Amino acid sequence: MPTRKSLQGAGTFAALHFSMSVKLHNYPQPEVFDELLDTQLKPRPAARVLFEYLDRLGAPELVARRESVDAAIMAMGITFTVYSDAGNIDRAWPFDIIPRTLSSKEWARIDAGLKQRLTALNLFIDDLYNGQQVVKDGVFPLEVLEGSKNFREQCMGMTPRFGVWSHICGTDLVRDSDGTVYVLEDNLRVPSGVSYMLENRQLMKRLFPELFKASDILPVDDYPAQLYDTLAALSPRPGDRPVIVVLTPGIYNSAYFEHSYLAQKMGAILVEGSDLVVQADDCVYMKTISGQRRVDVIYRRIDDDFIDPEAFRPDSALGVKGLMRAWRAGKVGIANAPGSGVADDKVVYTFVPKLIKYYLDQDAILPNVPSWMCMVEDQCDHVLANLDKLVVKPANESGGYGMLIGPRASAEERRKFAELIRANPRNYMAQPTLSISTAPTLIGDKLAPRHLDLRPFVLQSDKLYATTGGLTRVALREGSLVVNSSQGGGSKDTWIVDTHEEDA
Amino acid sequence: MLSRVAENLYWMGRYLERAENTARFINSMTQVRLDLPRSASFGWDVLLKVAGLDHLYAERYPEQQVIDEDSIIPFLIEEPDNPSSILACIHNARENARTVREVLPMDLWERINSLYLYIRDNADRARIGRGPRNELLQGVIGRRESIIGLLTGSMSEDVAYQFIKLGRNLERADMTTRIIDVNSAVRLPRDPALAAVTVERMWLSTLNALSALQMYRRHVGVHVRGNDVVNYLLKDPHFPRTVLHCMAEIEGCLSVLPEHKEAMKKVRQCWRRVERMVVDDLKPTVLHEYLDQVQSDLGEIHNAVSRQYFHRHQQAAEQ
Repeated sequence: MPTRKSLQGAGTFAALHFSMSVKLHNYPQPEVFDELLDTQLKPRPAARVLFEYLDRLGAPELVARRESVDAAIMAMGITFTVYSDAGNIDRAWPFDIIPRTLSSKEWARIDAGLKQRLTALNLFIDDLYNGQQVVKDGVFPLEVLEGSKNFREQCMGMTPRFGVWSHICGTDLVRDSDGTVYVLEDNLRVPSGVSYMLENRQLMKRLFPELFKASDILPVDDYPAQLYDTLAALSPRPGDRPVIVVLTPGIYNSAYFEHSYLAQKMGAILVEGSDLVVQADDCVYMKTISGQRRVDVIYRRIDDDFIDPEAFRPDSALGVKGLMRAWRAGKVGIANAPGSGVADDKVVYTFVPKLIKYYLDQDAILPNVPSWMCMVEDQCDHVLANLDKLVVKPANESGGYGMLIGPRASAEERRKFAELIRANPRNYMAQPTLSISTAPTLIGDKLAPRHLDLRPFVLQSDKLYATTGGLTRVALREGSLVVNSSQGGGSKDTWIVDTHEEDA
Repeated sequence: MLSRVAENLYWMGRYLERAENTARFINSMTQVRLDLPRSASFGWDVLLKVAGLDHLYAERYPEQQVIDEDSIIPFLIEEPDNPSSILACIHNARENARTVREVLPMDLWERINSLYLYIRDNADRARIGRGPRNELLQGVIGRRESIIGLLTGSMSEDVAYQFIKLGRNLERADMTTRIIDVNSAVRLPRDPALAAVTVERMWLSTLNALSALQMYRRHVGVHVRGNDVVNYLLKDPHFPRTVLHCMAEIEGCLSVLPEHKEAMKKVRQCWRRVERMVVDDLKPTVLHEYLDQVQSDLGEIHNAVSRQYFHRHQQAAEQ
């Protein structure tokens, strides 16, 4: 193993090798913001440790390590499920071994922005289901609320503990060419990906243990404990050790790995809808080998539509009959609370900076991507006139479904989409195509720039917490902006690096 | 513990045991066929009968005239439509493990996953010839043993553990009775001396299939005699694959579980039957009947366990 030997020489050669290695791999001059390299192709401060290490390692060893990562992923069974006609295929989680780095100084600002945002969003949801003061004060238009697919009548008048509805939020961030980090969307229903964030770090530690020995890379692994505390705080029987379950739709769900993983890490019980029952006392029980046992908190990974056939879709076999009744009676905590998806809407999104101002009397720390709402007539005209330059998104979809990427669509596709917009303007919003940042990614035996985003996870109950970094998703195809794992996306470990610098 | 989780753990235990037993069984049957005198023989279809798969096979391949090694072995090793094929068993064990990962030691999932990847990627090697087949099956056995090692070495003997162990021992006892039963299917040569050799070889192979030969020789004697072998494999309290040993293990598991009265009753019933069995000069047909009874006792233990722990809530709902 050449690594250990070469470690001794590190100090001497590191500086010399910096730029060489990058040249060595013919890394192109960045056309957009590169997360790791500046315009001179020098590592940014947070990436220095990494590049020193990569230079010592050398390209062949790096490729060799990548191969052992792939083997480790298969062995650890880190997979996601793709449902197809040929049965369920477990695909290995596509992982790039070059981490994405951010300085702790920059992160501190993002962290504050994320917490600010979720705080305001929770106040907003609680307001919508109660007094709707925000509508009365003319800050949020009634017609947007009325057009919301995810507003649940069944939740009116409810105030969950701490007034918090969305306890677990996944916020998608992207960086534009000028270096500004924007919020792309807030996932307030059942955001997934955090297990991959944790597993990515595990993989890196397994493959590059020497890197983490004495460095300033901040740890990420307190998330399960934080999640546990967040959930435990929702127990209707405070004082006792709460019975917490993770409610999964089952092994055919693409995020099943994560459901099981989080249950395991928290010491919670992984249940399916059929394992639970609501009794006449409005309490939720699980079916155990020694009879029924009361459940205090449900971390549900099932959409609102399916959680309770009595309250929502009657044909759902995934949920638990009477669950809403139990929740409304205060006999069980549910995270995220039913109905929290109302704020997880691309049109509501455009109001978030205003909502932060309204509820917290603060300016948004993290900006929104500039957006046009099709429901506003002149904005709609702008969108229709510039379809070839814009990304148009439907309000209530997630996972990149049903959207139009103007510059990449054919004239015919744009024409059809324009009809959709005219038919239901409330349902659409548009954004400019951002020049999303890239980071060096190991393609073959060379580093090449690939576009990426970042999904941190934010927790709120009686306290606020944000992950250290988050899940970095990367579009592995050259030039592609699609980071979804089902469509050729992969992920990277995300390092928040303490650079000990005043201005990093 | 959730009823669903208990059931999945139980089946995980059973499927892993079945996969390993099938691997041992195929290896030992392959071996004994080489050793038998030419005038003695048994068809490969015996393997199907012993595994209780003859009907399934006939349904799956209704046209087939000759049931030979080349058609049977892939069916037993890699046929996905045969729920008891080694590949299917390991696949099912993995799917069961996947749904209960949170109660298992983390490494256990990795081992089961890698056992699955191993058999999935190598199962077709069994078709190359007996050498690669033996290697493949030894690979399955070795990996399965490492899984057991991991379980006993790094898992608390909690309720989850008891269900895995319960499944394992019930499956094991069942397979032991089935493997003993092979002997009733062999056609013996007319020459008495040859017949005696054949019988001895067969019993030797029975012991081999259960990895019991060495212990048998140490604790019973150097000569392999039918009655002694049957006695040993059914009643020896110390060897881990004998029916009585499995009963003792199952009893131990149940004693830790709540409300075990009914299941315990069934265990005692089976226990008594085996204990009282007199196996001196047993005719093969009588032995076969005995073994059938033991198998149905085992089935009743399974039913009692299912009713009590896995399906109790369904019954409650129906009432």
